[in-house]
Amino acid sequence: MKRLTVQNQRPFETSKVPELSVPEFESEVGQILSEGSRMMGLFAVEASVDSKKVLAVLGNDETSQIYLVKCLFTGESMRFNSFANEYPNTNYFECELAENSLIVPEGHPWLRPVRKQTVILGNIPYEFYSMQGDEVHEVAVGPVHAGVIEPGHFRFQCHGEEIYHLEISLGYQHRGLEKLLLTQDENKRAVLVESIAGDSVVAHSMAYSLAVEALSRTSVSLRASVIRSVAEELERIAMHLSGLSGIANDIGFAIGAAAYGRLRTLVINSLLLLCGSRFGRGLVRPGGVMFDLTEKSANKITENLIKVQQDISEINDFMFSSTSVMTRLEATGKVSLKWAGAIGMVGPAARASGIRTDVRSGFPYGAYRYHSIQTVTLDSGDVYARARMRSLEIEESLGYILERFVDIPQGETRSEVNPLMENSGVISLSEGWRGEIMHAILTGPDGKIKTYKVKDPSFNNWYGLALSVRNEGISNFPLCNKSFDLSYSGHDL
Amino acid sequence: MEILSKITIYMVFIFAAPLFMGLVNKLKARLTGRIGPSVFQSYYDLRRLLRKETIYANSASFISRMAPVVSFVSILFAGMILPVSFTRPLISFNGDLILFAYLLGLSRFFQILGAMDIGSSFEGMGAAREATFAVFAEPIYFFTLGSLAFIFGRTSMYEIFHSITLGDPSFLVFIVVASISVFFLMITETSRMPVDDPNTHLELTMIHEVMILDNSGQDLFLYQYSAYLKILIYATFTSNFFNPFSMAENYMIGFLVYLCVMLVLICCLVWIETMLGRFKMKSIPQYLLFAASIGILNLLIYSFFRK
Repeated sequence: MKRLTVQNQRPFETSKVPELSVPEFESEVGQILSEGSRMMGLFAVEASVDSKKVLAVLGNDETSQIYLVKCLFTGESMRFNSFANEYPNTNYFECELAENSLIVPEGHPWLRPVRKQTVILGNIPYEFYSMQGDEVHEVAVGPVHAGVIEPGHFRFQCHGEEIYHLEISLGYQHRGLEKLLLTQDENKRAVLVESIAGDSVVAHSMAYSLAVEALSRTSVSLRASVIRSVAEELERIAMHLSGLSGIANDIGFAIGAAAYGRLRTLVINSLLLLCGSRFGRGLVRPGGVMFDLTEKSANKITENLIKVQQDISEINDFMFSSTSVMTRLEATGKVSLKWAGAIGMVGPAARASGIRTDVRSGFPYGAYRYHSIQTVTLDSGDVYARARMRSLEIEESLGYILERFVDIPQGETRSEVNPLMENSGVISLSEGWRGEIMHAILTGPDGKIKTYKVKDPSFNNWYGLALSVRNEGISNFPLCNKSFDLSYSGHDL
Repeated sequence: MEILSKITIYMVFIFAAPLFMGLVNKLKARLTGRIGPSVFQSYYDLRRLLRKETIYANSASFISRMAPVVSFVSILFAGMILPVSFTRPLISFNGDLILFAYLLGLSRFFQILGAMDIGSSFEGMGAAREATFAVFAEPIYFFTLGSLAFIFGRTSMYEIFHSITLGDPSFLVFIVVASISVFFLMITETSRMPVDDPNTHLELTMIHEVMILDNSGQDLFLYQYSAYLKILIYATFTSNFFNPFSMAENYMIGFLVYLCVMLVLICCLVWIETMLGRFKMKSIPQYLLFAASIGILNLLIYSFFRK
C-alpha cells in the first residue's frame, strides 16, 4: 500500500505520507477512487521553482478512513493524467490544482477557471461553452444580482424557456484566505476562519479548532464538546429555517416565508444567549469554548426551542401538504442518485438524492462520538427532497439539543492549548449545515503552520446545481439555486 | 352638470388607484404577521419616482421614450370607457367593449416593444412571456363579456352591465360565473400571484417586472401608475357584475356596494398571494384556458335557461 490511512482529526507525521512519482501517484489514486472513495482535497504542499509536492486527500464514507498520497512533480512542465473522465468527482479539484499550482491534468474533460474568472493555466483565455442555432439564446446573470446576495456569474444556454447548459463562474469573493491564515497569529486566525462563510461560522471554527487541538495534543472537556455541538446544531437549525423561508419566498408562498423567518429569529437569538453573537462568532476556539452555558440561558434556550418545535410542525404540515407548493417543488431540479454520487456531492443536497454521507456519523468528531445523530436520506433528489431534507434535519437537531440539555456534563470549558507538533499534519472534517467541511493543516519543522487548505461544501455542490437545472425551465433556476443554498465566499475563499 | 360629475368620478377613480395596491400590501403584511408599510406607500413611491432622473440605455431608440407614455395614456382612455358602479362613463358608444380591450392591448403592446427595444436578454425574455400569456388571456375577456354582449344584444359596456338585473334567476348565475372569470383575468393582466410574483427580486422568474427593469424615474412612474390603474380597472370591471344589488340607482347604495365588492376582491387577492405558491411557468396557459372556458359557460347557461 502506497498510501497513509488516517482518521478524522488524527494527527500524522508528514514524513509518513508516501511520496510517489507521477505514474505511481496516478495508479494509487486511481486505485483508491475505484474503492469508492471520493476526493476531498488536491493541493500543493511544497513548491519551489522546479519541483512541487502535491497532497491528495481522499475519504471513504463507509469505512470512515481518509487516505493520503503525496506526489512529487519535477521539471519544466508538470502534468499528470486526469482522473476526471472516470471519476467526475475529481474534476473540480484538478481544475483548482491547475489554477493554483499550474500542474496540468492531461486529458481533463473540462478545464475551467475556479476563482480566476477568465483565464485558465495562468494566462490562457477561457471561453464559455456556447450553443449555435437560430432559436438558442444565451442569458447572462450576475455577478451583480438584484437581491442582497453574494456575487457570482451564471451563463445559461437556452432554447426558449428551457435550459440546456449552465456554467457557473465564481471567484468574485476571493480574499486570499488560505494565504492570510498562514501569516496571522492564532487569535486572528480564529477570527479569519469564522469569516470563511458567514453562515457557517460554528462549523468552520469547529473544523479549525479540532485540527489545532489534534495537532497540539490538547484534550477538550466533555462539557465544552457538548456546548460546541449544541452551537453547531443551533446554527444548522437557523440556516435551514432561513433556507426554507427562502424557498417559500421564491415560490411566492408568503405565509411560509414569514413563518420560517420568524422562527429563525428565535433560534439565532438562542445562539445569542449562548455566546453573545447571533451567528455564533467568538464561541468556538482551540481548547474549548469561550462562553459557558449558564443554567438561566440553558432554560431560556430550551423554552425557545420547544416553541420552535411546536410551531415548525404546524408550518411544515401546511407547506408540504399545500398543492400549490408541492406542484412547484416536486420533480423540479432533479439530481439523480447516480449523478450526485459521481460528482461527489455532500451534505443535505446529497442526502436528498439518497447518498448516505454525513460527517457526524461517517467521520464522527467532538460530542458526536458519544452522542450519535441519525442520518436521514430521501431519494427523489428534487427541490422537494432538498426542502424536506432541511425540515427533517431541523427536527433531528432540535431533538438532539433538547436531549443534550437534559444532562450537561460538568467541568471546565476551556483548557490550555499546547504548542503544535513539528512536521505533522491533520485532516479535520466537520459537518456544516451545507455538508462536509475540510480543513487540512500541515506544520513545518518549527511547529508553525506551513500549509492550510480549506474546502467548503459549496466547492463540491456548485456543479450539482448546474446539473439540476438541465432541461429545466429557466424560471425555475432561482428555486433550484435556493434549494442548494450554496456559499460564494466559502467557495472563493 | 352631468359631465362635471362624470369628470369628478373619473378623477377620483384615477387618484384612488394607488390606494388599492396600498391596501393589498398592508393587508398582506398583516396576514403574515408584519406591520407593513402605510396604505399610502404607493403614493410615496410614485412621488419618489417622479422626482428621480430618467436614464436611458445607450441602445435605446425613440420607442423606449414613447412606450411608457403611450402605455399610460391608453390605460387612461380605457378608464374613461369603463363604467364605475352604475354611473355612465365619460365615453360610451356601441362597440366600446372592443375598444376597451384593445386600448389595454395597445398599452401592453407598447410595454413589450419598449422592453425589446433595449436588447437586454432579460427584458426580451419577459416580453416573450407577456406576449405568450396575453394570447391566452384575451379569450377570457371575449368569452365572458362577448357572450354577455351576444345574450343581451348590446355592444356597449354600460348597457351590458345595465342589462343584468336581479329579476332573472339565470342572471344570478351570470354574476357568479362572469365575476370569477374576470377575476382570473384581472390576476393575469395585472401580473399578480399566482401567475406572476410582483414582489420577487428574481429576474428569471418575472413576467411583468422584468420588462421594466431598465426603466427609471418618470418612465418608471408611468409604468407603475399604469399598473395601479390597470388593477383598479379590472377590479371595477369585476365589481360591475354586482351592480344589480345597488337598487334603484341610489348613489349611496351604489357606492357602498362598490366598496364592499372592492374589499372582498382585496381580501381574495391577499388570501391568494399569501396562502398559495406561484404556478409553474409551464402551467399558466392551462390556468388561463380554464378561466376562458368558465367564460363560455355563460353562453351554455343562457341557451339552457332560454329554451
